Amino acid sequence: MGRIRHILAGFAALATLGLSQAWADVTVLGWPGGPEEAALRKAAEAYNAKAADADKVKLIFFNRDGFFDKLAADLAAGSKDFDVNLLATYAIGRYAPFMDPIALPATAKDVFGEKVLATMQYGGKQYGVPTDLSLHFMYYRKDLIDQLMADPAWKKRYEEISQKQMGKTLDPKSPDDWNWDDWMATALFFTKSINPDSPTRYGTVLQMKNLLFNMMVWHSTARSQGGDWMDASGKITVNSPAFRSALELYKKLYDAGASPKDSTTYEYAEANAAFGSGQAATMLQWNAAFGDLDNKDKTPAVAGKIGTAPPPAGSAGRFTHIHGLGLGLNKASEHKESALKFIDWLAGADAMEIYAKAGGSPALSDSLTAKMAADRPDLVKLGQYAGQYGFVMNGGTAAKALQVYELQAKEFTAYWSGAKSIDDALAETDKGMAELLKP
Amino acid sequence: MTVSNFKRSLRREGYALIAPLTLFLLALLGFPLVVDIVYSVSRVGFENIRRPELSGFGNYAKAIADREFWSAAWFSLRFGLLASLLEVSLGLALAIFLAPLLGKRSWLMAILMLPMMVAPALVGLMYRLILHEFVGVAPYYLDLWFGDSPAFFSNDNAFKTLVVVESLQWTPFALLILHSAYAAISLDVREAAALDGAGAWRRLVYIDLPIMAPAIAVTFFIRFIDSFRVFDNVYTLVGAGAGGATTSMSIYIYQAFFKAGDIGLAVAASMLLLGGSFVILFAVNWAGARAARA
Repeated sequence: MGRIRHILAGFAALATLGLSQAWADVTVLGWPGGPEEAALRKAAEAYNAKAADADKVKLIFFNRDGFFDKLAADLAAGSKDFDVNLLATYAIGRYAPFMDPIALPATAKDVFGEKVLATMQYGGKQYGVPTDLSLHFMYYRKDLIDQLMADPAWKKRYEEISQKQMGKTLDPKSPDDWNWDDWMATALFFTKSINPDSPTRYGTVLQMKNLLFNMMVWHSTARSQGGDWMDASGKITVNSPAFRSALELYKKLYDAGASPKDSTTYEYAEANAAFGSGQAATMLQWNAAFGDLDNKDKTPAVAGKIGTAPPPAGSAGRFTHIHGLGLGLNKASEHKESALKFIDWLAGADAMEIYAKAGGSPALSDSLTAKMAADRPDLVKLGQYAGQYGFVMNGGTAAKALQVYELQAKEFTAYWSGAKSIDDALAETDKGMAELLKP
Repeated sequence: MTVSNFKRSLRREGYALIAPLTLFLLALLGFPLVVDIVYSVSRVGFENIRRPELSGFGNYAKAIADREFWSAAWFSLRFGLLASLLEVSLGLALAIFLAPLLGKRSWLMAILMLPMMVAPALVGLMYRLILHEFVGVAPYYLDLWFGDSPAFFSNDNAFKTLVVVESLQWTPFALLILHSAYAAISLDVREAAALDGAGAWRRLVYIDLPIMAPAIAVTFFIRFIDSFRVFDNVYTLVGAGAGGATTSMSIYIYQAFFKAGDIGLAVAASMLLLGGSFVILFAVNWAGARAARA
């Protein structure tokens, strides 16, 4: 009898555990499969520990591939399966008709700053709390660059390669001072097929898959040469010297063998695998990669040897694409009051500290970032770079911005793979963008 | 009851018995088809998905005038033909070669069917790892043995890689059907041919293959349909491809629907595909009926 009582008590305990999840009234759809998911899980755990039963949140995640397509379909269908959903700066225009604007607590300004809050605004209204800021670092192997700067034989070889491959003699520089030529010369130096003594197989790893996110990575190159989607009058300006030279830079590196042969199918994960294996000396990549790449359990080959710098400078300066990821309110939600409680909590300093320590990348005020500098040195740079170098292309938050990225991905990857000439690729892109972005 | 009354009563009973299934199919297939027809002649996106605006046959004209539509159709046709030829050839060779073994140990067939049990999307993800230059098994050993490994996913090689991946997964399907067809050939026929002095090769060419011809044709047809409409493994493995190099018809429709948000165009393209399929079906039926009459 005693044993039966124990067993029943065990079942009751399990049922209570399940019930506490079942009592979760607010469903949050987050960005899957990376540090953002890990951070959101930790934040939700902390929130649920203190929230009333009716306000507790449960998390769901779609697949990363096709995430925004599925979100568009669900929102358009008026899905009530989630109350709070992921939002991105470049997609607000697309999803705003299906979401409710929100009013964050006044303290959110102190936590994030106006510029970061603006990444979740559209048409002058706030649509989400900015949980992560995404921009790009130039990742490089500190150990190899240090040796390049110190070793006379390596320096000499570097000069020879730059002269032979680029027609000009360059000297190695610190990545913080790089322009695109310096990066190219470094990438060529660390490519084994060009320099048999290179310790790495490739000098860099380019993300050239036909994918909209890869365009965002590449845009730093175009912008730094003065490129933009449109001028002030709304005329499309992609068929320009800036875009042309930025496209040619990638093509030259790929054709020279400085990037893996399958780079035309590479995106975030493949590029990380290449750099993390220790076989690529540099990589232009999202800031979110730092945590995993510097983790000695996940990437022992390069952990502790990684440096980060802003993307190299062009004739117009140094720039990095910037966008925010955040969470906003589904118009069709039936738990708006509870959902807003979670969003408001997330916009607070305590919540963001939990989120950041768990791997998320929020762009916070200096004082908050300083508190976490020891655990997350990359967040210090994140804030600095966002302020100093961050840009959004003119038209980058338009209702059809996603379609513009898709068009560019298709045309520019056609050029990089040799399927199209640069003139045709730029002309088709120009024509398509004029149609997509017409007022 | 007269004979005609009896026949009438049987007919009514037949209608009553198939009515539930017919209604179910009408609801499941008929309703979406009607919606598709309306969408295909409308200006419709996610913003007005419940309020399409009729616009005539502009979507059809746009699809027909789109170079990428034809490029996707050509990709799907080449992919479908090559993959199904490879699968049927390999399946046939394996069915004949493994017949004695499978005859004695039929449980082996379950193991040979395993590749088919894996979801195509997962197969794509799996090969994305297996063929990755830095973490993949295949490039590692190719590099070790031959000093280099190919760029499996470059624009030059992606098509061949996809055909091989598709064939590796679906050859067991062809094997299953063709093994059954081969096993069903009466031993008497083979013994009679052997008694007449026909060697193994002549028995294969003049007895086995002609008897198996319908099964081979059906297997090819089924595999062709499946390979033509390929989506999952291509999308997860290489996506639409650099410049749209690996965009199949299904991926084209997906891109138009979800990426471009041009639902009218996407549905019009799928209706054109449906129309094309009916034309081929009628042509095949007509050719088959003609051959039967002859």
